[in-house]
Amino acid sequence: MLIIENLTKIYDNGFKALDNISLEIPDGQFVSIIGLSGSGKSTLLRCINRLVEPTKGRIIWNGLDITAATDDELRQIRRRIGMIFQQFNLVKRSSVLTNVMAGRLGYINPIFSLFNYFPPGEKQRAMAALQRVGIPEKAMNRASALSGGQQQRVGIARTLMQDPEMLLADEPVASLDPATSHSVMKYLELLNNEDGLTVLCSLHFLSLARAYSDRVIALKDGKLEFDGLPKDIDNERFKMIYGEDAVEVEIH
Amino acid sequence: MNTPPPSRTLLWRLVLVVLAAVVLVIFSYGWTVTDIDLAVPQEAQRQENVGNALRELLSPNVFSQEYEVKTATTSFLINCPEGFTAPEASPATDQPYIVVEPGCGTANEPVTVRGFNFAANGLARVNWIALDGERRIRQVIGTGEDNFSINAEGSFSVQVEVPRIRGTTGETHTVEVQGRFPLGLPTLSATTGLVLEKMVETIFLALIATAVSILPSAILSFFAAQNLMRPVRTSLGGLLLTVALFPVGWWIGSTLLTQLGMLALNIGRGNFSGSAAATLFVFVGMVATTRKLGTSSTLETVSQPRALLNAVLIALGSVVLIGLVGGLGLLFGSLFTEGIPGYLSAFIGSLGGMVELVMPLIAGVIGAFTLSSIGTTLTRDVFKRLSATTSHLLGGVLGALAGAVVLGATAVIGMSAAWMGLLTPFVAGGLASVILPQLYQRFINPPQPGVMPNRPLLTLLNWIGTVIGFVATFLLLNVRQALVEGTLPDPVIGFAGMGISLPVYVLQAMLIGAVIGAVAGALAGTRGNFPIGTVLYSTTRTVLNALRSIEPLIMGLVFVIWVGIGPFAGVLALTLHSIASLGKLYSEQIESIDTGPIEALQSTGANRLQTIMYAVVPQIIPPYIAFTMYRWDINVRMSTIIGFVGGGGIGFLLQQQINLLRYRDAGVAVLAIAIVVSILDYASAAIRERYT
Repeated sequence: MLIIENLTKIYDNGFKALDNISLEIPDGQFVSIIGLSGSGKSTLLRCINRLVEPTKGRIIWNGLDITAATDDELRQIRRRIGMIFQQFNLVKRSSVLTNVMAGRLGYINPIFSLFNYFPPGEKQRAMAALQRVGIPEKAMNRASALSGGQQQRVGIARTLMQDPEMLLADEPVASLDPATSHSVMKYLELLNNEDGLTVLCSLHFLSLARAYSDRVIALKDGKLEFDGLPKDIDNERFKMIYGEDAVEVEIH
Repeated sequence: MNTPPPSRTLLWRLVLVVLAAVVLVIFSYGWTVTDIDLAVPQEAQRQENVGNALRELLSPNVFSQEYEVKTATTSFLINCPEGFTAPEASPATDQPYIVVEPGCGTANEPVTVRGFNFAANGLARVNWIALDGERRIRQVIGTGEDNFSINAEGSFSVQVEVPRIRGTTGETHTVEVQGRFPLGLPTLSATTGLVLEKMVETIFLALIATAVSILPSAILSFFAAQNLMRPVRTSLGGLLLTVALFPVGWWIGSTLLTQLGMLALNIGRGNFSGSAAATLFVFVGMVATTRKLGTSSTLETVSQPRALLNAVLIALGSVVLIGLVGGLGLLFGSLFTEGIPGYLSAFIGSLGGMVELVMPLIAGVIGAFTLSSIGTTLTRDVFKRLSATTSHLLGGVLGALAGAVVLGATAVIGMSAAWMGLLTPFVAGGLASVILPQLYQRFINPPQPGVMPNRPLLTLLNWIGTVIGFVATFLLLNVRQALVEGTLPDPVIGFAGMGISLPVYVLQAMLIGAVIGAVAGALAGTRGNFPIGTVLYSTTRTVLNALRSIEPLIMGLVFVIWVGIGPFAGVLALTLHSIASLGKLYSEQIESIDTGPIEALQSTGANRLQTIMYAVVPQIIPPYIAFTMYRWDINVRMSTIIGFVGGGGIGFLLQQQINLLRYRDAGVAVLAIAIVVSILDYASAAIRERYT
């Protein structure tokens, strides 16, 4: 159970990205977060693993107060929260295998990392993760040699190395074409179904949210605009979230 | 198109005209200041001088040829008798021979000397040998030179005058032609050999300076990278404790740990197999224990006693390891003396010697960091649970200790040179700068989330505090005297004991630091957040910039005083400058990396070191290689002139040749520099192109 209480984020320049957000997300739910650019979707996700430091409010996950965690505790918590990104955030010059194994760093003694050493067994774990996302044959390729969809799958494999209980996906398909978008979303769905991961996924397209999620959260100017089932978003709601002039674009 | 109002255009034009006039004035002032006088280069004498110098420079003395001198003679009768006929020459031989026509004559009469079978295109001269046996060189009529050249067939025909020698009428003199015959093929001259030797020295001087500077500048570059350092913040309590504990840890390290390290070093230099085994044993043991103690797979952090034990073990293990390895180096250094093993042996032995030399320093640093880390680990939870009042009280106490340590350290530096005394007021100003903004924010206008703080006012308060801190410390420590008179502070000892002695001057500085630190620490409280990254970043940048602005030639002058004339001084000067310069270049590369992977690895729970190793390092290796090559290229150029101040290499030779006005020899050095620099320029450009 992830509990967000009165979460507010004000950036140093005074911009209020999140305004008093409160949410409860039970384990194993697939939650889509929608909203215009700048509505606070990324900030909300980044506050959960404190890549962005919240200004006010509390985030409690499985009884642990993330907002009050010390640096060490925070790293222990982050190990169980996977995150994938719009720009994939792979090290482009490193091999796919190295990128995937890097997901395990939180479990490894930092001194070993100085010598680029991974304990035995981690390589097999990484290969298994690549197997799950369907690209084991790319293990020795440079990450930059892969297509966008494949890079995002490497990103998913990297989070698998963390043994995550929750997955934060920050617009995971915004840089991909529609067909590849579905393939990536299907992998998220798979993790949600098979591993029981809680998935929080910010999306641009409402159609994707409708297709994959149990629940949709809509943000507008940092405020919670809608929280409910995907089917409850009718045209009126849609215009409230995206503005009067918006027209829904389907992605198949 | 809207045309701007005419008045504005007019004003704009006026401004342009004034600007042009100002530029003209500045330029003409520069013309005068730099003594540009077009009449000087046109003076005939100067033109001739520069022509000669250039001619010699451009005729480098690269090759040399050995010669054998062969002579051919014939007789000559002074004053022709009636009916004299010259004896016929015998042209059948392949030896050189000459014919003089006419075969007799009086003084100052021109005679034609023809020669055959001489070395083609060689040089020859005509000697006149009277009965006294003395050789008189005859100048060739027309050129006025002693030597003349022989044509491609090996023959020549020149005119010389019969010399006027009193009382020789009727005597038979000998006309001799000395011709040079090349002996073997041309070889490289002695100068070339010397230049090549020095060139090798130069290239290696640059190579070693570059290689040695890579590691320090790579480490410094991380501290000088804004994107990495800006987000690094630490709790003020932990930081103050760290600073306060630092000298204690240093003292423990440099007195106790050193002895352990020296013991290990002496074991290491004892015998090979035993100490190699010991090294391996300690290393494996360390890895095993840290694996056991330092990691946990559950959602809990590593427990405190385990973390502490781990830290102590790592400290002890590192000191022993360094000692053992240093000892092994010293042992290896005494093994070989000749050939390639000899070079290796000398090199590794001197590395071992370096370990022996800096062991107290290494042990001090390890001790300081270990104790600080233990201190912060132990108190982390305590600081979190403190009430507001206690937090401020403790902040004051720790602030006093930390302030005393910091200003004490700067005062010790200030004892070394008069102007270094400025360091203490500067740092005191920096510490004092936080006081006024803290007062303002705590009592007058507490910050509220969402409300932008009054930045200009806070900056102003910051500056006022800095100035007050600076001026007060400046006056209290009497830095004015040091600045004006250049005298060092009085070294009267005010405290002695426990193996340390502190001058009164340092104690005064510590007192000032304690006062400022106590006020600042008490205001901020231990829960405050300190931008340690920004402080480290700006300090590193400042030091690098200052070092970079000093030319290696000037550094070379100082190092020549320290280690004497020779390439070692050059290596040190170039290394120091390379560290500063590469540190800056490297850090700019870090600042331009893709930050996505950093964010991604942070989100996996990797710590800072791991994030750097896996997200930053892979991205910066190619530009680092490129910039290192570029720096080697620069270092070769610089090492060609570092010799001018005694830094060794080819510059030293070049300077000697120029001072002795041996421009043909200097030409060889210049040629060698041009060739090597061009080759390296090309190579480094090619490699850089591949990596960027």
